Amino acid sequence: MTLAAATLLGSERVSIFEMTEQGRAILFDIRLPRVLLGACVGASLAVAGASLQALLRNPLAEPYLLGVSNGAALGTLLAFVFLDGIGWARPLLAFAGAIIATFAVYQMARSRAGMNVERLVLSGVIVTTFLSSIIVLLTSLLDAARLRGYTFWLLGDLSQATYDGFYMTLAAATIGTIVLSSQARALNLMMVGERDAFDFGVELGRVRIIIFGMASVLVGTAVAASGSVGYVGLIVPHLVRLAVGSDNRLVVPMSAIAGAIFVVLADTVARTAIAPRELPVGAITALIGAPLFIYLLRRN
Amino acid sequence: MKGSVVLALLVCGALLSACETQRPVPDGPVSGIFKDDLGREVRIPVPLNRVISLAPSITEMAFAAGAGDRLIGVTSYCNFPAEAEKIQKVGDTLTPNIESIVALRPQLVLVSTASQLEAFASLLERQQISVYVLDVKKVDDVPDRLRRLGRIFWTNEPAEEAAKNFELRQKAVESKIAQAERPKVFLQISNEPLFTIGNESFMTELVERAGGISLTKDISGGYPKISKETALAMDPDVIILSDSEDNREPNIVFNNSKAVKNGRVYKIDADILSRPGPRLADALEQISGHLNK
Repeated sequence: MTLAAATLLGSERVSIFEMTEQGRAILFDIRLPRVLLGACVGASLAVAGASLQALLRNPLAEPYLLGVSNGAALGTLLAFVFLDGIGWARPLLAFAGAIIATFAVYQMARSRAGMNVERLVLSGVIVTTFLSSIIVLLTSLLDAARLRGYTFWLLGDLSQATYDGFYMTLAAATIGTIVLSSQARALNLMMVGERDAFDFGVELGRVRIIIFGMASVLVGTAVAASGSVGYVGLIVPHLVRLAVGSDNRLVVPMSAIAGAIFVVLADTVARTAIAPRELPVGAITALIGAPLFIYLLRRN
Repeated sequence: MKGSVVLALLVCGALLSACETQRPVPDGPVSGIFKDDLGREVRIPVPLNRVISLAPSITEMAFAAGAGDRLIGVTSYCNFPAEAEKIQKVGDTLTPNIESIVALRPQLVLVSTASQLEAFASLLERQQISVYVLDVKKVDDVPDRLRRLGRIFWTNEPAEEAAKNFELRQKAVESKIAQAERPKVFLQISNEPLFTIGNESFMTELVERAGGISLTKDISGGYPKISKETALAMDPDVIILSDSEDNREPNIVFNNSKAVKNGRVYKIDADILSRPGPRLADALEQISGHLNK
């Protein structure tokens, strides 16, 4: 329903009853792929956020805040600069960047005393700023005109949506949601405590690798298609938990649906608020997400 | 840390005293006071031989006004006229290298933008270097600023000639506007994401003066990112591309527009189109040539 409503809203009025050729082009070539891509990106980021939070037992674990999105962004930038002609290079390098950033944060946050909230958030900040500085360095060294589009895209921008990008993120979001939902029982047990989970026969190492790997795939494809749309993985699972409780068998798949709705709504605001000009969707999600982050941090 | 501060102070002191001994303080009868484009009153010494330009458009204007040989420093983007490329580079407009500027011991620095200007100007003024803001917002500003540069540099004759020449070429373009219907123009600044020109850009004025109607003239801002849906619905008669590496083709939303169907997509060198200086006359003539076909 949200998707249908969002498709009918835009900077140009299009009547679905008296369809002109131009109206058809606006609806099917521009607006529909953008709405569909937004839905897949939202689902990917929310599912990645929900499962990282369960795995790390930390409600603040979020791809954007942990630097995973920035890792993917740096990968995309490298693909853009050095392998521009190769279509699959962007999602692949984005995935590589995401997984390296994930493991860097995980290793830094881990200590003998376990992993506390502050340590994880701080590690995320460090990895994020480090990666940001490399991105800034690269964009200042390279030709400004060529990268003008890239810096805008970095904020999270769905205006370059194509059906190709949609198919890719759809595949990743579908596989990711299924795989991560299948780990929901293990995640439930691990939320109680890793030792208890181990006693129940959960292979901790395997679960960790599946979750980190799959979350990186989701974030990598989402970022390669639309830049770093922040805070989706924080806001959506939090709202879902308020609605359905903390059972991951519900939280993970519900996050996919809620994430899709959330990003589509945010992008509808981005497309229409100052039409015919546009805002980057990442600015809208961050506007909602940052206050929520502060609230969650204080409550902790 | 402490050591480096002391060293920095020593270097500054050395520079200061060097400035004081090598030329007179710009004061008294050998200087004039000129109001700049922010309304600041700037004392400018005479004769003026050591000047730095911090914008490609200003460099082009200084050369046109017959004062190119007084420039001792320019930005890394200053590539026109050819002589400008041989002048020492001092960074670019948004990130000038203040140490290179001071080391060149200029009498005057010409700037176009006002970001962080207060701090920048007071820092240079402490080194006895004047900072003058020259901001071109409209096409008519070009001949006016050329004449003003002529007064500042005491090169009134060539400056007046350049200003007159600009005005003549501008009038010639305006007299050529066909009486028939004016074509609707979309000027594309970058392809992905789709950026165009808004009501604050002098390029909107260029398009209108050359005989076209800029489809985006009512959109607020200088260079807004525009909705692709709106762009598609605009169905331009003519598309002008500001020719740079990320902007060689019209955006795919224009594939079915009149402009693409009729082959009316034109490129104009981004350096000519985007620098508010004397070459705006070239930009006007090129746009006019494309529109009045």
